[in-house]
Amino acid sequence: MIYAEPKCSPGGDRFMLIEFGDELTLALNFFSQGLARATMEQKIKGVVETSPCFSSLSIHYEPDEISYDDLQKEILTLAALLGEASDVEVESRLLYFPAVYLDPWTAAAMNEYREKINPEKDPDPEFITNLNNLEDVQQFVRVHSGTEYWCAALGFWPGTPFLMPLDPRCQLTAPKYNPPRTFTPRGTIGMGGGSTAIYPVDGPGGYQIFARTPMPIWDSKQRLPQFESQLWLLQPTDRIRFVPCTVEEFNEVERKVEEGSYEMNITDYQKVSLQRHKAWVEQLDVNARF
Amino acid sequence: MLEVVKPGLETSIQDYPGRIGYLNLGFPWSSAMDSWSLRLANVLVGNNVGDAGLECQYIGPFLKAQRDTTIAITGADMQAKVDGVGIPMWESVALKAGQTLEMTFAKTGTRSYVAIAGGIKSPEFLGARATFHKAGVGGIGGHAIQEGQVIPVGTGNGNPGRKVKESARPQIATDKQWQIEVVCGPNDDWIDKAGHERFLSTKWKLSAKSDRSGFRLEGPDWTFTEKAYNKLPEHGSDPANIIDQGYPVGGINLAGQTPIILVNDGPSMGGFINPYTVPQCAFWKLGQAKPSELLLFEVISVEEAQQKARDITALCSENSIV
Repeated sequence: MIYAEPKCSPGGDRFMLIEFGDELTLALNFFSQGLARATMEQKIKGVVETSPCFSSLSIHYEPDEISYDDLQKEILTLAALLGEASDVEVESRLLYFPAVYLDPWTAAAMNEYREKINPEKDPDPEFITNLNNLEDVQQFVRVHSGTEYWCAALGFWPGTPFLMPLDPRCQLTAPKYNPPRTFTPRGTIGMGGGSTAIYPVDGPGGYQIFARTPMPIWDSKQRLPQFESQLWLLQPTDRIRFVPCTVEEFNEVERKVEEGSYEMNITDYQKVSLQRHKAWVEQLDVNARF
Repeated sequence: MLEVVKPGLETSIQDYPGRIGYLNLGFPWSSAMDSWSLRLANVLVGNNVGDAGLECQYIGPFLKAQRDTTIAITGADMQAKVDGVGIPMWESVALKAGQTLEMTFAKTGTRSYVAIAGGIKSPEFLGARATFHKAGVGGIGGHAIQEGQVIPVGTGNGNPGRKVKESARPQIATDKQWQIEVVCGPNDDWIDKAGHERFLSTKWKLSAKSDRSGFRLEGPDWTFTEKAYNKLPEHGSDPANIIDQGYPVGGINLAGQTPIILVNDGPSMGGFINPYTVPQCAFWKLGQAKPSELLLFEVISVEEAQQKARDITALCSENSIV
């Protein structure tokens, strides 16, 4: 659902959360990102930073410069203006991520969880397969890797992308781990709710996990040219395509990343048009699966 | 310049207000948890209120001065001594070249702050010196201070013997109970009436599994409104799951049934609801609370929370010095 008017709520003394709807669509994310951009461009006094996500926007403001009520008025006015601009397109890089699906590393992390925390937990790929009425895990791999992913936001941990599939035929959902895992290997690809994420470093996690990429998205050692000026790779509006590969290919890429010679496959000449995406989605059979 | 003789427990370089402006990349503010105390320590030694100092947690460091300087210690009482002789807190103190500042365990409170005249001048990362060790950025080499390191300090002499008025200091609870202000929202409409009443009438126990990214609370289960159950699968199936959203700093984040207060190094985004948010004026209390102590939450309005933060800022100035 898209709300008739954005819903504003306070987050303590210096945050405001603005929700535009409660679904995962490209239109809502375009709106969140567009409003975040407009808010910064308008230089609204007292706005310190904005943090857009799938269908909402979080604003950090300085209460000595603007009151909550005045900020709400400014944001709703801006949102109403923005709402009239229906034909939006943005430049979007496409990054190819080699990925081993049903890989041994996430399987080991899953098994550790099953041994130590919850022996009843079904292995994640089987669990997602059943939950989404897919034929088998192979079909799950085809479906998950069968779409471009839209980087809707960065957050949680520096440089971590929140991804949504651009092809509705590849929309899958899964609950999060409860309780969370204590260990997830760097480069793990997982999903929770309707979103997919890549873990930038080893760490705890709550997403269902089923694949691993050797492409670094965070590198404090700055081994590759992409990390020379910043330690993270991605930005909102990027698209990612996961390219299934073997363990041998994974190892080879990882070795090249380690020695600083890996050539990332990134293209940067395309735009994503909200209207064209919408028109394309409308003529699809969204229940079809690959 | 200060040489680290013993690092203490995860003693880190922190400034105020920290790494502001990068939540949309996933960088938390970091910064001092009890910034009231850090700011006053800076005022004592003649620094800017936001200069970088040391945040000591539970057990403080031993630091040897390489030149004459002035220091001030505020926050938790870690029984500081210089060359074996006790020194006062909330007061600027001379530290001569070759002398060693020795701090031990926190007798009251949890976090002590050490300001040095001239401020710590470790390299800045994204405009701040605050350490965020989980990503290995800020501070020295991205981590807590290590034995043998030399902490770079700016120029500035400071004057010993300056004190903070008793009335301008944060009063650290000694009865193991804290009254913590909260503001309702942003996701308060996901919790039912009974759930709100339970939250506000419970003395929540601060879990030992708490650190600078999250303060876990132990207490009763939560109950939810219809909204938490009747939702699209993109939210996730647990009642506390919501489509991923930006988190406010201080959000009381409901991970399943466990509330976790998102503090200075916490995640900037995620898929759990935040029914309440701890405003900045109460962060010093979180910084000084010990695991197993009890937290009782009290709702205040957005405006009251903003005024309380202003009141603290006003105290962190030369007017509080005698």
